[in-house]
Amino acid sequence: MLFNSFVFIFAFLPVTYTVFWLLRTSRARYVWLTATGYVFYGYWNPRFCLLMAFSTLVSYSAGLGFLRWTDPRRRKLCLVVPIVVDLSLLAFFKYANFGLQTARGVAHVFGADVSVPHLDIILPVGISFYTFHTITYIVDSYRGVIRPTRNFFEFSTYVSLFSQLVAGPIVRFRQIEEDLEAIAAHDRRRWIQRGVSFFVIGLVEKVLVADTLAAFVDPALASYASLSTLGAWMAMLGYSFQLYFDFSGYSTMAVGLGYLFGLRIPQNFNSPYKATDPSDFWRRWHISLSSVLRDYLYIPLGGNRDGTWRTYRNLMITMLLGGLWHGASWTFVFWGGYHGLLLSLYRAYGKAWDALPHAARQAGMFLLAVVGWVFFRSSTFAMALGVLRTMFVPTSGVLVAQPALAAMALIAAGSWAMVGPNAFEMRHEYRLPGRLVLASGFATALAIVIGLRSSPFLYFQF
Amino acid sequence: MATTSAPLNTKLSQPDAPDVRRDERARSAGTGLAGWLLIVLVFVFSVEFACRVEDWVMYRMPILSRYRSLDDLVVRDAMGMHGRPNARFEKWVMNDLGMRGPPTTKTPAPGTVRVITVGASETFGLRESPNREYPRQLEDSLNAQVSRASCSRPEIRRFEVLNAAFAGMGLPTIEQDVRNRLAPLGAKIVVIYPSPASYLDEQAPAAARPDSSGQAEQAMPLRRALYPRALSRMREQLKQALPEVIKTPLRARQTRAMVAAHPPGWRFESVPSDRLAQYDADLRRLIGTIRRVGATPVLVTHANEFVGRPSADAPMLIAWEKFYPRATGRTIIAVDSVARALTIAAGADSGVVTVDAARTLAGQPLSAFADFVHFTDLGASVMAGVVRDGVVGAVCSAVESAAPADRGGAR
Repeated sequence: MLFNSFVFIFAFLPVTYTVFWLLRTSRARYVWLTATGYVFYGYWNPRFCLLMAFSTLVSYSAGLGFLRWTDPRRRKLCLVVPIVVDLSLLAFFKYANFGLQTARGVAHVFGADVSVPHLDIILPVGISFYTFHTITYIVDSYRGVIRPTRNFFEFSTYVSLFSQLVAGPIVRFRQIEEDLEAIAAHDRRRWIQRGVSFFVIGLVEKVLVADTLAAFVDPALASYASLSTLGAWMAMLGYSFQLYFDFSGYSTMAVGLGYLFGLRIPQNFNSPYKATDPSDFWRRWHISLSSVLRDYLYIPLGGNRDGTWRTYRNLMITMLLGGLWHGASWTFVFWGGYHGLLLSLYRAYGKAWDALPHAARQAGMFLLAVVGWVFFRSSTFAMALGVLRTMFVPTSGVLVAQPALAAMALIAAGSWAMVGPNAFEMRHEYRLPGRLVLASGFATALAIVIGLRSSPFLYFQF
Repeated sequence: MATTSAPLNTKLSQPDAPDVRRDERARSAGTGLAGWLLIVLVFVFSVEFACRVEDWVMYRMPILSRYRSLDDLVVRDAMGMHGRPNARFEKWVMNDLGMRGPPTTKTPAPGTVRVITVGASETFGLRESPNREYPRQLEDSLNAQVSRASCSRPEIRRFEVLNAAFAGMGLPTIEQDVRNRLAPLGAKIVVIYPSPASYLDEQAPAAARPDSSGQAEQAMPLRRALYPRALSRMREQLKQALPEVIKTPLRARQTRAMVAAHPPGWRFESVPSDRLAQYDADLRRLIGTIRRVGATPVLVTHANEFVGRPSADAPMLIAWEKFYPRATGRTIIAVDSVARALTIAAGADSGVVTVDAARTLAGQPLSAFADFVHFTDLGASVMAGVVRDGVVGAVCSAVESAAPADRGGAR
């Protein structure tokens, strides 16, 4: 089910919301949110609910183990076993074919022609996200950062909460624990205006901005070989804004939905195209993922504590794995490596970069991000190099479809992304004129939603 | 100042305080109500306006278009029933000849072979993307191989395909349209893709009665332009949103109710031979009319998603039954199958090139069909490919000017 779908807006959300607030006890609300989470997830493919239930059960049991045992060996077992189980599921469903194909490629390099079967595996939506939810819970419990919950339904609510289930943000238990504990005491009216406002802004970002951009970006990149230099730039700038508004729109809607149920979900995007350097960019882009990678991978690897070269190594490992998390393809790995390199270079030559004027740094960082998105968007290296060549070597060819409309959409999206406020920078207390604007924005987005042309979120594939 | 005056005011106004508070509350409630009313109005207006702007951006459909549905794209005038010239609704755009497709002229340009496709909704195109319906793909396909398709005749430089079909068009209406309207258009080839299931309607198909009253020329009233498009979208979404487990029993119930409302024996439990005899006669009459107007007919057998697939898609069959409640699902499939044989036989008897699309489509993936009979982009492309071969055959036959009987039979 998609947030920008008719079923979600007109059936799932009203029913879930009404029943939630009619229920009075914590237990009833946990059970209700868990059940609705499974309905939300199962609407796509009910079979994979079992997978999520299994992952939930394993991680919950690990939490009980931490509560019961103080013996370091047993605690380590409670740490390692569920993480191995979770990562094995992720590896099988997401990376099995990638691994087999890579092995075949490596064997081919060494002169052995190995026949490798292609496994008919469907990638369960959101597995990358809920696997990280459970892993952060286990690690935080092991480290003593949180006290694991004994309440199974509280934990299952955390894992299967529909607002964050399939495309994040990657909310850590400690970030939502306080609100979950007090779930029976929430005041419905306290956050409703904020919740509605966030949801509508996110819907506008997704439906009106991202999908409008997609209308010219997708066909243009589908036939990238015929694009002119200007066409390639328009397509890639369009994709950069499309990706941002698509994912940021989803996260903003998720935050809004959280507020509607009294749960404060943290910010996932902080106007990343306002970033002035690579470190700044990763503090603003997909904040929940970059902070998870920092806290659960980069710092345990040693962070910046063991000298310059080890810092670079740790940065590269973190970013390469971050790239791989996004998808089972070497183009994603390359994209991760590219950002690892940018972070390392910034670490080495940051002072010179910081001496540049603010506008130049912002424009420069944006340009570097756009180049990275070429690899992120391309299905093969040939496509990535083709697009880059067209962008940087003057080439004659075609523009994107409806170039005047596309240019207007780019200017509007670019202005909002690079100058305008994000949802967390806006005030969500409205008087009548503000409410009218909000109603109008919601209505316009809704008109598109009921037009049967809503598209899935880009981050669903990760 | 405020501290001294406040108690004084309070004291002075004490006897009226409940009334004042009541008035304030009433005023505040009134303002609140007016505010919410305004928000609702702005919301409703914005939804409707956005729907119209989106229709304009996507399809160039005028903001105040008076066409509300596919039915409005059809007109009944002195020539019979046919597409309404220059009408447009969402992705369906009629040209000035009242045919789905790009603008064209009454007579074909020099060096152009004009092909006209006739049929019902499958030919008109319901479920394909814009410009991916089979007649459009047929034109692309013919022009991509113009040297082969023209049988080495240098004067043929281009093919033009006109789509004269519309939803629900039966063979008698097509025959009337060919006679009255299509004859002067200079078509060399007319491709017939009949829809046999229409012979299972309550009444067998008859030619649409011409209407000389001149009502067709009158402009549609302006109030039609004000009909809320958001409502149509909502209705469509509701239908789409219902899961198949609910939709299928509802359809089955509707069909049962329709059957129950008629006397026993009303339903066709087996192939009705009289209806098929009429199909055969109508088809042969159409072939004759096409020849009389100077064009060469090409026959195409009717395809459906059940042919060649033993495990029939039960919910889809129930959906098809709902359209033709007078026949059982099995009868509808059987009628299509018998009609295929009749079409091939009519082609053989009349020396008409016949394309067996039913057989070709049976070998394609199920994704060639968007429902029981309508094509997806893929299905339309397969259809265009197989019909192209038939059109090429017909053009080459004309070139060789051999005896028609020699080239009859299925391809």
